[in-house]
Parts: sequence; C-alpha cells; structure tokens
Amino acid sequence: MDFAASLSLVAPEILLSTAGLVLLLVAAWAGDGASRAISIASVAVLAACAFMVAPALCSGAMGPDTVAFSGQFRADAFASFAKLLIYAAGGAALIVAPAFFERVHAMRAEYPVLILFAVLGMGLMVSASDLLTLYIGLELNSLAAYVLAAFLRDDERSAEAGLKYFVLGALASGILLFGMSLTYGFTGTTSFEGIRAALSGTISMGALFGAIFMLAGLSFKIAAVPFHMWTPDVYEGAPTPVTTFFATAPKVAAVALSMRVTLDAFGGQVAAWQQIVIFAALASVIVGALGAIGQTNIKRLLAYSSINNVGFILIGLAAATPQGASAMLVYLAIYIAMSVGGFVAVLMLKDADGAPVEGIAEIAGLSRHRKVLAACLAMVMFSLAGIPPLFGFWGKFVVFQAAVQAGLVPLAAIGIAASVIGAFYYLKVVKVMYFDEPANVAVGKSDWAHQALLAIAALFISPLGYLLTRWLGALADKAAAALFLAA
Amino acid sequence: MIQVLAFYLFATLVIASAVFVIMSRNPVHSVLWLIVAFFNAAGLMVLVGAEFIAMLLVIVYVGAVAVLFLFVVMMLDIDFAELRAGFIRNFPLGIAIALVLVAELVLGIGAERAGALKLGTPDGTAAPLMDRSNIEAIGALLYSRYLFLFESAGIILLVAMIGAIVLTHRERSDTRRQNISKQVKRRPDEATINVKPEVGKGVQL
Amino acid sequence: MNAIQIIVFGPLLAAIVAGLGNRMLGSVAAKTITTAGLFLSCVLSWPIFLGFLGGSAEASVTPVLHWVQSGSLTFDWALRVDALTAVMLVVITSVSALVHLYSWGYMDEDPDQPRFFAYLSLFTFAMLMLVTADNLVQMFFGWEGVGLASYLLIGFWFRKPSACAAAIKAFVVNRVGDLGFMLGIFGTYLVFQTTSIPEILAAAPGMAGSTIGFLGYRLDTMTVLCILLFIGAMGKSAQLGLHTWLPDAMEGPTPVSALIHAATMVTAGVFMVCRLSPMFETSPTALALVTFIGAATCFFAATVGTCQWDIKRVIAYSTCSQLGYMFFAAGVGAYGAAMFHLFTHAFFKALLFLGAGSVIHAMHHEQDMRFYGDLRKRIPLTFWAMMAGTLAITGVGILDVFGFAGFYSKDAILEAAYARGTELSQFAFVLGCIAALMTSFYSWRLMFLTFWGKPRWAGSEHIQHAMHDAHVHDDHDHGHGHGHEVDGTAGYHPHESPLSMLVPLAILSLGAVFAGFVFHDGFINSEQFWNGAIAYNEHLIHAMHAVPLWVKLSATVVMLTGFGIAYAAYIRDTTIPSRFVATFPQLHGFAFNKWYFDELYNFLFVRPAFWLGRQFWQRGDVGFIDRFGPNGAAWVVAQGSSYAKKVQSGYLYSYALVMLLGLVAAVSWALAAG
Repeated sequence: MDFAASLSLVAPEILLSTAGLVLLLVAAWAGDGASRAISIASVAVLAACAFMVAPALCSGAMGPDTVAFSGQFRADAFASFAKLLIYAAGGAALIVAPAFFERVHAMRAEYPVLILFAVLGMGLMVSASDLLTLYIGLELNSLAAYVLAAFLRDDERSAEAGLKYFVLGALASGILLFGMSLTYGFTGTTSFEGIRAALSGTISMGALFGAIFMLAGLSFKIAAVPFHMWTPDVYEGAPTPVTTFFATAPKVAAVALSMRVTLDAFGGQVAAWQQIVIFAALASVIVGALGAIGQTNIKRLLAYSSINNVGFILIGLAAATPQGASAMLVYLAIYIAMSVGGFVAVLMLKDADGAPVEGIAEIAGLSRHRKVLAACLAMVMFSLAGIPPLFGFWGKFVVFQAAVQAGLVPLAAIGIAASVIGAFYYLKVVKVMYFDEPANVAVGKSDWAHQALLAIAALFISPLGYLLTRWLGALADKAAAALFLAA
Repeated sequence: MIQVLAFYLFATLVIASAVFVIMSRNPVHSVLWLIVAFFNAAGLMVLVGAEFIAMLLVIVYVGAVAVLFLFVVMMLDIDFAELRAGFIRNFPLGIAIALVLVAELVLGIGAERAGALKLGTPDGTAAPLMDRSNIEAIGALLYSRYLFLFESAGIILLVAMIGAIVLTHRERSDTRRQNISKQVKRRPDEATINVKPEVGKGVQL
Repeated sequence: MNAIQIIVFGPLLAAIVAGLGNRMLGSVAAKTITTAGLFLSCVLSWPIFLGFLGGSAEASVTPVLHWVQSGSLTFDWALRVDALTAVMLVVITSVSALVHLYSWGYMDEDPDQPRFFAYLSLFTFAMLMLVTADNLVQMFFGWEGVGLASYLLIGFWFRKPSACAAAIKAFVVNRVGDLGFMLGIFGTYLVFQTTSIPEILAAAPGMAGSTIGFLGYRLDTMTVLCILLFIGAMGKSAQLGLHTWLPDAMEGPTPVSALIHAATMVTAGVFMVCRLSPMFETSPTALALVTFIGAATCFFAATVGTCQWDIKRVIAYSTCSQLGYMFFAAGVGAYGAAMFHLFTHAFFKALLFLGAGSVIHAMHHEQDMRFYGDLRKRIPLTFWAMMAGTLAITGVGILDVFGFAGFYSKDAILEAAYARGTELSQFAFVLGCIAALMTSFYSWRLMFLTFWGKPRWAGSEHIQHAMHDAHVHDDHDHGHGHGHEVDGTAGYHPHESPLSMLVPLAILSLGAVFAGFVFHDGFINSEQFWNGAIAYNEHLIHAMHAVPLWVKLSATVVMLTGFGIAYAAYIRDTTIPSRFVATFPQLHGFAFNKWYFDELYNFLFVRPAFWLGRQFWQRGDVGFIDRFGPNGAAWVVAQGSSYAKKVQSGYLYSYALVMLLGLVAAVSWALAAG
C-alpha cells in the first residue's frame, strides 16, 4: 500500500483537519461575530465528509484495500457507517448551538472548530486498527470534549462538568493506557491484526488483564456501569447543545471502537470478555433505569436514559456475532435520532424570557400550550421506552433477537424485564406533560432550526421509520460483515 | 551486576518517592517528591538503553511540568487540609483496593515466575533501526511509519491550546492597555496647554 | 318484515333510541317512542293469539340469523311462535304497553325518564327473546337479559342505598338459579347433542330411564336435567329457597314491580317448565319436586303476606304465592292450568300493583298501610280498580255462571291437584286450599286497611313532609290544618291519579274481570289450542271434570272464610289483630319475619362469603399477591433508585472509587474464572 493510496483513504480526515485549521484562522481574524458563518461552513464540511465516506458503506468496502498507513487505519464499510452517524450527530450539535449560546452572549467561533476536531478524533477511533490510532483518536476527541463541557465558563455547573469529565477521563485514560501496555507487552504488537494472531490459542493472563483494562477504559467513554458515574453530572452541567453532542457522537465512536477491540483484536477470545460485557450490559440497563427514577432534571434523566440504552447496545455486543454487530449499528442509528430528538426538545423548552427550562415539574401540562412540542417529546419518550409502533422498538427488537440467536436467552429475558422499569420514568414524563396541572413555565418561542431538527428526528422515530428497516438493516449487515472480515 | 543494583535502587526510589508524593503534608514537598520520582524514572530509562526518553523525562517533566506544578501549587490558595479530609476518610479503602489490584496483577501476570531480571540488551526484534542512535531511530519512525498519527498528535496539542484559550482568555474592559499607535500619533498641542497663573491664585485645570 | 320481528325488535329499537338519545332526546320524545313501540307490538300480538285461539294459526319459526357454528354445536337465532309463545306475547306486550303508559303519570317528576323507559323497553325485548326462543341458548340469552333489566330497574334510584342493595341481592340470588339453568343446558346438550328445543322434546321420551354420572353418583338422566333446569326456574320465579330477592325488589319503581315482578319476568320459570313439559313428563321425580316446591311456596308466601304492613310487600308475597300455584299445577301435569293462571294472574296482579302505585302516588309515597284508611271516597276510581283486582285474586265467582279471572284459573289448579290423585298432589291440594284462604284474608285485609276505617295519615312522615312543604309555601293558610289533625288526615288531601295512570287501570280491570270467563275453555279444555306446544294430559282433564262437587266448591268456601275473618278483624273489631299477636307472639313473629329466611341465609351464606372474600382480599390479594408482586417489585425499584441516588454523591473521589472498584471486580472475576 503506497503512501498516495493511504492518503486517499484518509481523505475525509484530511478534509476535516484542514477545514478545522482554516476555520480556526478565520475565527481568529473575524472574531466571535463570524461564529454563525463558521458553524454553517462546518456543517457543510461535515456534509462533504459524509459524501466522501458514503460510497465505502454502500459498496460494502472491506479487505486489504481499505487499510491505510501499514495497518494503522481502516476505512471500511463499518467505519463509514459509524462515521455517517457521527457526522450527523456533529451536524446536529452545530445546528442547535447558535440559538442557545447567543442568548447568553457565549457563542464563540471556537465552538464549531472544537466540534470539527472532536469529530476528527472520533473518525480516527472508529477507523482504528492499531492501539496507537485508538489512543490518539480517543484523546483528540476527549480533549475537545473536556473543553466543550466547560464551554460556558462563567456557569458554575458547566465548569464543574468540564473539570469532573477531565479528571475522571484522565483516570480512564490511564486505565486504558495501562491495558494497552499490558497487551503490547504480552503480544509484542500494537496492531489489532497482530494482537489477534498473537492470541490464537489459550490467552495468557497478562493479555486478559490488558483486555479487561482496555474494556474498562472504553467503558468510561460509552458510560457503561460501573464507569458511568460522570454521565449525569456532566450531561446536566454541560450546555445543552454540548450534551446533545455527548449523548450521540462519542457514544457511537466509543461503541464502534469497543466493537473493533473486542470483535477484532480480541475476537478470538470471546469467552474471555463475554461475561464482563454481559455484566456491564445488565448493570447498565438496571442502574440506568433505577437512577432515572426520581430525577427532577430532564437532562439528568436523559443521561440515565443514555446509560440504560448503552446497556441494550452491549447486549448486542455480548452476542459476539455478525448479527449482533449489525443489531448494535441499527440500534445506534435509532438511538442517535431519539437522543437528538430528546435533547432538541429540551432545548426548545424555554421560559418567557428565553431561559432554558430543565425541571420535569416545570413542564407539567406542557400539552396545553405547546401541543406539537409535547407530542414530539412524548413520542421520543415512548420510543425510548421501546413501545411499538415507534421506531425505538425496532432497535430493541433486533438486539434481543441477536442475543437470543446467539443462545443468550436469559440475558435477553432479563433485559426485556428491566426495560419495564425503564418504561416507568419515560412514561412519567409523558404523564407530567399531559395529565398534570399546567405549570405554564415553558412558554418561550423556539428557533426554527430546532423545530426543523426535531421534526426530522420525530419523523425518523415515528412508525414511518419502519419503511427504512430493510435499507438500514442491509447497510448495517454490510458494515458488520466488513468488521468481521477484518477480524 | 552494577546494573542490577542500579535498577533496584531506581525502582525502589521511584516507588518510595511516589508514596511520599501522596503522603506529605505540604503540597510543595509533594511536588518536590514528584521531581525525585521523575529523575529515578529517567534513570530506569537509561538502564534499558532509551536515553532519549530519559532526557525527555528530565527536560520536559522535571524542567517544565514539575516546575510549573510548583508555581501553581505555591500560587493557589487551596485548603489542602480540607481536601485531605476526604482523602483520609477513603484512605484505607483506597489502600485495600490498591493492594488487591497489585496482588492480582502479580499473581495474574505471573511476575514472580518471570525468572531473573534481564536488562534491555537489544536483540533486534523490538528495535529495527539498531545501527542508529535513539533519536534517529525515533525520528525515522515518527516521520515515516507513524506520520499520520504524529500529525494527529499535533492536532491534539492544538486542541489543548484552543481549549486553554477558550476557557481562560478574556477581553477585560477594566484594564488599561498600552496603545502604541495612539501614543505615537499624539501631538504636543493636544497634550500641553499654556496658562498664565495670576499672583496668589492657582491654576484652574 | 314479519309481524313477529316487529313485535320483538320494535322494543329493542325503541330502547336503543331512548337509551342512547337520553337527555339529548328529552323525556317526552323518549317516552313517546318507547310507548308507541310497545303499543305497536301489542296490537300485532293479539291477532296472533286470537289466531291460535280460533285454531286457525300454525306454529312457525322465523329465522333471524345463523348464530353459532362450532364443531357439532350449531344453532341459529330464530323466533318460534306457537300457542305457548302467543299467550306470553299478549301478556308481555299488553302489560308492558300499559305499564309504559302508566309510567307517564307515575314517573312524571323523575329527571331520568329516558333511562327508565329505555330500560323498560329493553326488558320487554329480552322477555320477548326468552319466550320466542327456539333453542336453549337463545332462551338463556333472554333469561339473562331480563335478569339484567331487572337489576337495572330495581336499582333505578341508585342514589338510594337500599335500592342498590336490593338490586345486588336480586342479581346474586338469580345467579344461583342461573348456575342450575346453565348446568341444565350443558347437560342437555351433552345428552341430546343439540340445543334445539323441538328436537330435545322429540328425543326426550327416548331418554327416559337412562342414567348419567353426576357429582360421582349414577343418576337418572332426565331427573338430573329437569331438576337442574327447575333450579333455574326457582331462581327466576322466586320459589321457596330462592325467593328472598323478590320482596326486596319492591325497592324499584312501582310500574317495574307490576311489569317485571308480577306479570312477566317472574313467570319465566313457569313458562320454561311448560315449554319443556315433555321433558319433565319423563321424570316423575322432578315433577314431584316441582309440585312440592310449588305447594310449599304457595303456603309459605301466603302466611308471610298476612302480616306485612307495606302494601307493595303484601302484593309481592302474594305474587310469590300465586307463582307457587302455577308450579304445582305444572307439577301435577296441568300445564294448561298453569299457563291459564299465569295469564289471568298477569292481569289482576299487574292491576293490583298499578293500583297500589296509584294509592302510593295519592299518599305522597307512603307505603305503610298503617297510615292509610278511608281512601274509598277520596280516590274512588283507584278503589274500584283495586276492588276488581281483589275480587279476581281471591277468586270470586259462582260455579257455572260467572267468575272473576282468578276464580277459573285457581279452581282449575286445585281441581287438577285433587284429580291427579297421588299423595303429593293431595297434599298440594290441601296446602293450596289453605293458601287460598289466606289469600282471601290478606287481600281483604289490604282493602280494609287502605280504603275503609278512619284516616290514620297523620302518623306518616311522608305526609308530614308534604304538609310541611305546603305550609312553607302558603303560611297564611296554616290555621286550617289543626281542625283536620283531629280526624287523622293532618290536613292532607289525597288526589286521584292522572288519566295516563287511570286508563291502564281501567283496561286491566276489564282483564281481571273477564279474562277467566272468556278464555278458560280455550286454555283448560282445548287440546286443539295448545296443539302440542305443551304436554297435554287428556286423562287428567277428564279427571278434573269428574271431581266431587265439594272440591269445586272448596275454593269458594275458603275464600268466603278468609273474607269473613278479614272483615271481623279489620272492620268489626280492630283490636283482634293486636290481641292475636299478643296471644301467639312466636307464630306472628315467625310469619312477620318471613320465616327468618333472610337471617338464615345471612348466617349460612352471606357472612361466610364475606369472610372468605375478605380473606382472599386482605390476606391473598393485598397480603400476598400485591405485597410480593407489583408492590414488592415497586418497593425494590424504589429502594434501588434511592440507593443509586445516594451513590451518585457528586464527589469526584467517590466516582473514581466506583470506577476502580469496578475494575478490581472485573479483574478478580477474570482471575477467578481463569
């Protein structure tokens, strides 16, 4: 593989970084007044990148032709699928931001640049086929994320969120690095392919510890129990557009990266990590559901909801089959839409002065004065609870189906039972909106960009989404096939 | 033999100074212990033949990072006694967890069965560019095989810089900054006036 | 469109329109629609009946739709019309139409009239469904339909707790009977492999003598089936044992009592036994049971009726007693006589109830006869109607010349009981005669207490309320009252009922006077009239005509005796009743407290059932299922939630600690597993 071919494979990443640098210069010269224009340019860049990665997904690219830089980077259908989701989520985070930050005069030109670099880091993560690529991508994304969490630097909660995220993220990075060191030490290579080859046969205890430490570090990123503790605080404290971003794109990236690590690098040793993934999946589902009950802040509630959803995604990972991988990707796509819908709806909750409304008690009786918004939020909640005919049900269904076909019937059964607990707090929000005495707090007008985004998300998770199942499933199957061929 | 002795010396000192970093009452002492730990770590690197890394440790960590820490610790007004309260409360649990983890690693990885210590004598597998110096070897790899990742790492540093600026840089309106062009442009007749004070009366400005 | 379809579905249509239209439609429209529907049905019914009476009509079946087809179980929804049905048709539609009309006046001040009339029409539809049934399932449908309508109408004034309790009691007691009926239907299907009534009746004689396993015993098939079916009839027709709901059902509006609890629904049991008479004929044991229960009920209810004070309750027990006559007539094989008594009874009992309603209406909802008296001149039209009813129920008449309705039908029953000649039928004859004596006594007692004597209205709370309201309205007039209080009227002026109530009374009076005289030949003596609709025992008919003269006269004799006693006790010397009570307190208490049936059932069934229910509720449901089921799960979730919140302290070091603990746990797990 010559250098030019490698460069062509990383073209989206080159475009992203170049655009990021150029826009940073624009930001430096034009100042914060240009932030809207830079945001629009960033969305355009993301759209262009999406067009660049889409062909690889549609053609189901896999095999040696997709490997760049002597095995450090892989631009196959799996990476493309994840990148498309990441670009979409990044675009959503860019679109919703200006209206939110401008109200407090905190819209700064660095925001879109940071988002672009974070997206770049995530692109590296999902394309990683080497421990070094993995770590560089992860850190690039994380550093940008720490800054974004504290973006409202004059807001105490935002600063606290950034600091907490940073400290715990550093700890998780340390754990991850330690695991990588162990893995490198016991296999003598950093490339996934090499690790897989070195681990054929019985796994040594050292390599197993390496795998566990790495999984732990990655679990922090995807916010799986017990590495989830930061999630509620950070999601609540971070500015809502940033929370929208956190709940979507990094999840996809980290889940995809975990899939690469477990199914590719440690794909020959499923038994070594399967039990731990099963535990993390069930713990996430249950803790996410239990934690969400009794929350009074809707962002915090959605944070627990994201923990809960990660549990369901991990059920697909525990299956360790191409079908499970495909189910996870389908789930991720639907989850992105539900999360974006949910957080955009939260963004649209404003009081008469335009200040954000986040308390669940304050949206009581929302259905009386904001009918469409309440209906959309209710739809998101029903979808998150996995109630047919909304599209959220399909995601859960394919994941459980994969688990059952992989012989993990008890896991699927417990998962289904635990989703009942989850339904309680989702439905509670609906009940508050529709049946409680109106609090008449969230009466502010919404930005048209928010409305458009919410409409798209709502359309996707509506029963109309089922028209996409065949198409979405085919793409996810191609992506999963590419992942397993690489393995 | 002297190498083995040096290894155990450095290793013991790294661990001991690391313990003192967290045990010492005075935060300045903690940073100083940290510097000791870095130096000993550099010594270990020299022992395995990675002299460039050793130099990096001394120059970057000791020379820059630790000194910066020292400044920060001395300048910040942090009530360390209060911070320590939580620390002490959880200390036994922390120690217990650490011990369990260490024991598991030792048992699991089988360090006690690893046999006698072998120092980093190059055998040609891990270091492909043996005929060159350490710096040359690293440079050659960084700018060829790992070019893409090296450039990406550069972007990480850029993001860190952007982050620092975003989070701390403020346009302060209440400070008086020097405006050189304004100073240069200023004419004498704008700056001075002539008055003729009468006897027994001051100047009315 | 067949006439029978209009007869049956007209009331249903009216009920639907009035019921769903309700307030939207308004009282007058709802009343008009339902009443018009019923009069139409009535007008169409009489020609059918007269056709059978004249011998020109044939039994026919009008299919409505295919109902159920499941394996070998198939039956259609079809309307069967034969002589038996025709009799019921005229009874039901005539009484129902008159009751609808009567209710215009009686319910005039009620705010829920559309609902009332919709229920009435619904009841009529269900009753017509029952009597036109071609198979047992359809009969059961009607059976339950009338039960439902009865429940709804007893509890019509649902804000009154006693009405609700009575409605529930009626429903629950009927469930007991219905269970028997259902088992009977299931058993019949099991034995005959069909639910079609004609086929069952045709096959029944062939089954006589066969045995069936029931509750672990080997029993005679037909006896088991007939007794089960008869249990259903006992429930619906308030026979001894399952009679307790009927007196309480008087909580409903009086027109309801007249229609449902006198003329039609309670006779459904008698109708069913007659309809299935060929089946019953195959089991002498079952017939003996029917005879015994009927005679016992007849006697029992009559004794209770002699000492009740509530005018409606007297008539209610009287109904119970008359139903007993019908059953023992059926039991001795005189189905024609049973049906004839049903027919005449419908007219005079509806008349008595409506008359009582008119009295109650006049006396401002006072129902206690102790506060009546001297109403003969105040409400003369009602008095004459009640008189006609009383003459009919007591069976006044001169042999071979003319008699009121009851004279012919009751005499026919007593003659049949005597003529049957078995010991049991002789026993029934004796009890019937005693009951006839008491019937005469309590009927005249009712008349004397209500219409003769001095006004005793002053003691009535209802009257006092009425007067109080009147005083409030015109204060300057209050001086008048004092002069009247001396004579016991408390200044109250009873008023005659409106025309809409008097017209039904008049028409029913005609029925009470002439129904027996006109129709007795057709019902009793004519095999051609019934034409196979009921089992016809020609031998019994001949025996009836050959009974000795004293038997024929006995009914008249006891009737006169009863009248004499009543006259002596309530006109001549009004202290006799109290002296009698003082002399025989146990006897009076026994009868006055309805033989303590309610107390017995309360002790035997109600309280144990409540206890059991409370056990299931508090120990089983609340204590076990809820505690360990939903509530337990909810408790676990709530605890877990509060614990999860507690762990989420907000402190960095505790978060880091959890992460490290998780890591150590995972490593330990791997170490242990590996």
